Amino acid sequence: MALGALYAKAAVGAVLPGRGKTLPDREIAREGLTVDLGHLADYARVCGFALTDTLPMTYPHVLAFPLQVELMACRAFPLPLPGLVHVANRITAHRAIRAGEPLDVRVRAERFAAHPKGAQVDLVAAVSVAGEPVWDGRSTYLARGGSAPTGFAGEMPEMSDVDGPASAVWRVEKDTGRRYAAVSGDVNPIHLNPLTARAFGFPRAIAHGMWTAARAVAALQGRVPDAATYEVLFRKPLLLPSAVELVTQPARGGWNLSVRNRRTSAAHLAAQVH
Amino acid sequence: MSNDRLRDFSNTGIAGRLGVPRVPLLRRHEPGRPLLPGPALVSAVGAGRFAKPIGALVEESGQSVVESAGEDKLAAVVLDLTAAASLADLAAAQQILTPAVRKIAPSGRLLVLGPEPAEASTGEAAAVAQALDGLVRSIGKELRAGATANLLVVAADALPAAVDSSVRFFLSARSAYVDGQVVHVGVPVGAPQDPVGMDDPIDPDRPLAGRVAVVTGAARGIGAAIADTLARDGASIVAVDIPAAGENLAKVANRTAGVALQLDITAADAPERLLGHLRERHGGVDLVVHNAGITRDKLLANMDAARWDSVLAVNLAAQLRINDALLTDETVLREAGRIVCVSSQSGIAGNRGQTNYAASKAGIIGMVRAYAPRFAERGATINAVAPGFIETEMTQKMPLGTREAGRRVNSLRQGGLPVDVAETIGWLGQSSSGGVNGQVVRVCGQSILGA
Amino acid sequence: MAAKTRQTRQAAVIGGNRIPFARANGKYARASNLDMLTATLDGLVARYGLAGERLGEVVAGAVLKHSRDFNLTREAVLGSRLAPSTPAYDVQQACGTGLEAAIAVSNKIRLGQIESGVAGGVDTASDAPIAVNEDLRRILVALNGARSASARLKLLGKLRPGQIVPEIPQNSEPRTGLSMGEHAAITAKEWGVSREAQDELAAASHRHLAAAYDRGFFDDLVTPYLGVTRDDNLRPDSSVEKLAKLKPVFGRGEDATMTAGNSTPLTDGSALVLLGSDEWAAEHKLPVLAHFVDAETAAVDYVHGRDGLLTAPVYAVPRLLERNGLTLQDFDFYEIHEAFASTVLATLKAWEDPAFSKERLGLDSPLGSIDRSRLNVNGSSLAAGHPFAATGGRIVASLAKALHEKGSGRGLISICAAGGQGVVAILEAVK
Repeated sequence: MALGALYAKAAVGAVLPGRGKTLPDREIAREGLTVDLGHLADYARVCGFALTDTLPMTYPHVLAFPLQVELMACRAFPLPLPGLVHVANRITAHRAIRAGEPLDVRVRAERFAAHPKGAQVDLVAAVSVAGEPVWDGRSTYLARGGSAPTGFAGEMPEMSDVDGPASAVWRVEKDTGRRYAAVSGDVNPIHLNPLTARAFGFPRAIAHGMWTAARAVAALQGRVPDAATYEVLFRKPLLLPSAVELVTQPARGGWNLSVRNRRTSAAHLAAQVH
Repeated sequence: MSNDRLRDFSNTGIAGRLGVPRVPLLRRHEPGRPLLPGPALVSAVGAGRFAKPIGALVEESGQSVVESAGEDKLAAVVLDLTAAASLADLAAAQQILTPAVRKIAPSGRLLVLGPEPAEASTGEAAAVAQALDGLVRSIGKELRAGATANLLVVAADALPAAVDSSVRFFLSARSAYVDGQVVHVGVPVGAPQDPVGMDDPIDPDRPLAGRVAVVTGAARGIGAAIADTLARDGASIVAVDIPAAGENLAKVANRTAGVALQLDITAADAPERLLGHLRERHGGVDLVVHNAGITRDKLLANMDAARWDSVLAVNLAAQLRINDALLTDETVLREAGRIVCVSSQSGIAGNRGQTNYAASKAGIIGMVRAYAPRFAERGATINAVAPGFIETEMTQKMPLGTREAGRRVNSLRQGGLPVDVAETIGWLGQSSSGGVNGQVVRVCGQSILGA
Repeated sequence: MAAKTRQTRQAAVIGGNRIPFARANGKYARASNLDMLTATLDGLVARYGLAGERLGEVVAGAVLKHSRDFNLTREAVLGSRLAPSTPAYDVQQACGTGLEAAIAVSNKIRLGQIESGVAGGVDTASDAPIAVNEDLRRILVALNGARSASARLKLLGKLRPGQIVPEIPQNSEPRTGLSMGEHAAITAKEWGVSREAQDELAAASHRHLAAAYDRGFFDDLVTPYLGVTRDDNLRPDSSVEKLAKLKPVFGRGEDATMTAGNSTPLTDGSALVLLGSDEWAAEHKLPVLAHFVDAETAAVDYVHGRDGLLTAPVYAVPRLLERNGLTLQDFDFYEIHEAFASTVLATLKAWEDPAFSKERLGLDSPLGSIDRSRLNVNGSSLAAGHPFAATGGRIVASLAKALHEKGSGRGLISICAAGGQGVVAILEAVK
C-alpha cells in the first residue's frame, strides 16, 4: 500500500474506536531489498550528499520508513499516526553499505512510555546483510497529550546546542518538504504545503527532521568514519522557507552540530556524530 | 576608402554621352606587376648621362624602349635634359615632347631629368634649367587620363645610381597621385656606393626588405596605410600611437607582423622611450616616419592656447625632439637611415581655420630643410611629404561641398588615397634614395592650392 | 630545495598585456570571455611582435564559464594572430587562476619543456553563464536521450512552469552558502580591522593606480578594448572622506565596516603575461623584466575549521619564505590582491601577531610588519577591479615591470582565492 494511502487510512483510524493500549508485538520485515541507483541519486541531490556507491549514513532510514508507517498505521498501534512528532533520532552505522548489497530490513516498535508532554515511542530499524548487522536506526516519536501505560522513559539524551560561528548558511527553499517527500516517501501533509500544514497548526510547511539531519551530516561527508553513530534531537520546527545556519565543532573525536535559525538563532536541531 | 561617386559615374557610358568630364581611374601598384604596362620613350638632348641606364632599366623590367613617338601608346616618356644648356637644347626638347605627349597612355608617366640651375655655368644654362620647372608643371596640367609629369633636378656630380630609386618611383604606379613635382637629387649621402650604373635592387617588389621602420600615428588613416605599405615592401614595422588608440594599433601591428608601441610622443620621456625600444627590441632603426598629427581647427580670432599648444606639441615639437634624439644618439639610427615627416598642403598653402595646423605643418618643412645637412653627416636623409586632399575617414566627414571642391582642384581631378602618401614615403625610405635629402614632395595630384 | 631549484634554468617574465577592466554590465556587457581573451592575446602578440609565431603553450582560464567554453584558451589561440600550432589548455582555480597559470608555464620553462608561453585569465560577470533550473535541466537531458516519441511525451509532461526560473551563478561558497563578502566580514571582525584603515587602503589603491596611468606605467601593459582606455572602476579623486560616506554592505551592526568602496566590484576583463627562457627572450630581442623565482599554494579549512575563507595566503607565504631562505622584509614590492581592503589588512595583522604565528603558523616569531610604502604601489584590485581569473596576470605583469624599472630587488605576490585557497609567488629583478 502506498504511503499516502497509509496516511489516509491512519487518519481515518485515528478517529475510530478500537485503538490498542499497548505496543503490538509485531515486527515488519523486508528481505533482499536493493537500492535503486536513480533513487539514491535523487536522495543524494536533495540532501546534499555526493553520489557514490556507498549509501549515505541516513539513507537506510528511507528504506525503513515505509515499514515504520505500516506499523504505526495499523489499528492496533496505540498512538495515532497523524500528529506524531519526530523528536529524536539515532543512527548507528556498523560499516559502509554498498549500493548493490541486498539488504534485510526489520522494523519494530519499543519503549512506549510517558513523556512530560504526552507519550513517546521508538521505532527501531535494523538493517543487515546476510545476517551481518550493518545499520541500526531508532526514531523517537512524541504524541502530544497522548498517554502511555508504562512509566517515564527517562531523559532524552543530553545535548547542548553548539555555539559559535556558522560553518555554512543554507537558504532552505519552500519546496524542500515536497522534494524530500518525493525521495523519502514521507508525505506527511505538514511538510507539503502551507495549507495542509496549517491544518495541523503550523503557520507554514515545515522541513522534515530527517532532511535537516541528513543535510547536516552531509556537510561533514568525508570527515565522518564509515562506522559511526549519529544522534539527533529535533528542536523548533524549521518553517519553509528559511535561512538557517549550520554550526560544526570538533568534539571527542567526532563532531557536535547544530542547525539554527539565521535571524533568531533558535535551534532546529542539535546533533552529535562520533 | 575612396567614396568618389563622381569618379565612378564619370566612367560609365551614360556619363560619356552626357558629356560629364571623365575622372580618371589611376593605375596603382600591385606586387608582381611590371614597372610599366607598355613601351617607354627614353631620349636625351645632348650628352645626357641618364638616358642609357634608364633605357636599360625599362628593358630589364620587360618593356621595349623607343627613341621617338610612333603609333603605339606610351606608358612613359623619359627625357634626359641634364646636358641641356641652351635655348636650342630647350627647343629640341619641345620637338621630342610634343609628339610624345600625344601618345601618352592613361596613367602614363612623363619624367624629365634636368640640371641643377644653381650649378649652371652660364646665365642661359641657368635659365634653361629653371625653364624646365615651368615646362614640366604645365605639361602636368595638360595631361589627361591619370598621366603625370614630374621633374628630377639632378646635381652635376650625381651618378646614375643616385637617381635609380627616384626614376623607378616616378615611372611606376606607386607615384599615381604625385604630379607636377620637382625633386632635387644630389650625390647620395653616406659612404659612396658602388658606382656601377643602375643598381638593381634584389627584389623590386620588396625594396625595404630588412629595414626597420617606425610609423607614428599608425593606428588608423594614413598612418595605418603607411605601415601596411612599408610592410608590403619588406620593412619590419614598429607601429606607434597614443595608448588610447592601442586597440587599432594592435590590429595594424599584427596584420603587418610588426610590433605595437603605445606611446604618447609628446610625453617628456617619449624620445628616450622610443629610442630605448628601438635599441633594445630592434637593434636600431632604418626609417622613421613622423606621421602622427592632430587638428584642432578654429579661426585664429577664436583660437585658445590649448588648441594651439596641443597641435604644435604633437605635429611639430614631438618631431623636433625625436629628431634631436636621433641625431644625438650614436647608434639607434643606422647607416642609410631615413626620416620622413608628413607635412601638409595646408602648411604650404595655408587653410582657413587651421592657423595652428598650417603653422605646424609649415614648420615641418623648415625643420626638414634645416636638418638635412645634419642628417647627411650621419649618412641619413630627412624629407617631407605633403599630402593634398586624401580620402580618409576625416575627409569623409567633411560637408559635401568642401569635399567636392577639395577633390577636384588638381590635375587628376580626384582625391588621393592614403596608399599614395605611403608609396611616396616608401620611396624616400629606401636605402637607395640617399640622393634625395631635404626635399618636400607633395602628394596632391598637382593641386592648384599653394602651387 | 633552494639548491635544487637552481639546477633548473630561470623562467623570465617578458611582459604582459591586459585590457582595461570594466565594471560588470557596463562597457563589456556584450563581450564574452572568448572575445576578451582573444583581444588580449592579440594585444600581446602586437606588443611583442609575435604574429605567426608558435609559442610553447598558452595557459589561461575563467572562473565563470559557459559550457561552450570548454576549450576557451585554445579557441582564443585559434582566433588570434599566434600560429595555430600553439598548444593551449585551460586552468581554473578561482581567483588564483591567473597566477596558477603563470606558475604552470614558468615551471615548464624551467624544466626545459617549453621555451616560451603565455599565462593568464579572463572573466566576465556580465556575460555569465545562466543555467536552467536543475529539474528542467534534468528533463531536458533525459529528453535528449529519449528514444521514442512516447518517452519524450512522458518527459514533457513533467515540465512545470516553476522550472523556467533560471539559476544564476552566485558569488557564494557552495559549502557555506556565504558570499565572499560575508566571509571577509567574519575575518575583518576577528582581526578588528577598522573601517578607517580599510578606507585608507582603498583610497591609496585609487591614488596609486591613477598615478601609474598618468606617468605612462600602463602604456605597455594595457591595450584599450571597445573604446575603454582605462579601468573604469578607477576614481582618481577617491578619498578617505568620500569613502567614509558609503553605507556598509557586509557585516552587522558595529562590525559592519565593509562597503562597496573598500570591496572590489564585479568586473569584466582579461590579462595575460608573456613568459620565456632567458635564451628565448634574447633570441627574440625581448627584454626580461623579472625572473619568476618560486611559488606556493596553500588551502585552509574555512568550512569546519577556524580559518577565514580568504586567509590561505597567510599560510602560503611563510612556507614560501622558508623554502627560499627569505624574510618578509626582504622585498621591495608587495602585491597583495585587494579582494577586500580588510583581507589585505587582516593578512598583514596575522603575520604580525605572535600568538597566531606560533599557534597556527608554527613559527617561533611572527613574520613581522612590512614597509607599507611598498604595498601595491601601482594600485590593485580595489581601484582596477577584479575580473577573477584576470587578476593574477595583471599583478605578475605590473610587478615585473615595477622591478624592471627599479632595476633590482624582489617582489612578493599574494592572491587569495575562493575555496579557502591562496597562491603566492616571488619575482626577482634581473640585474
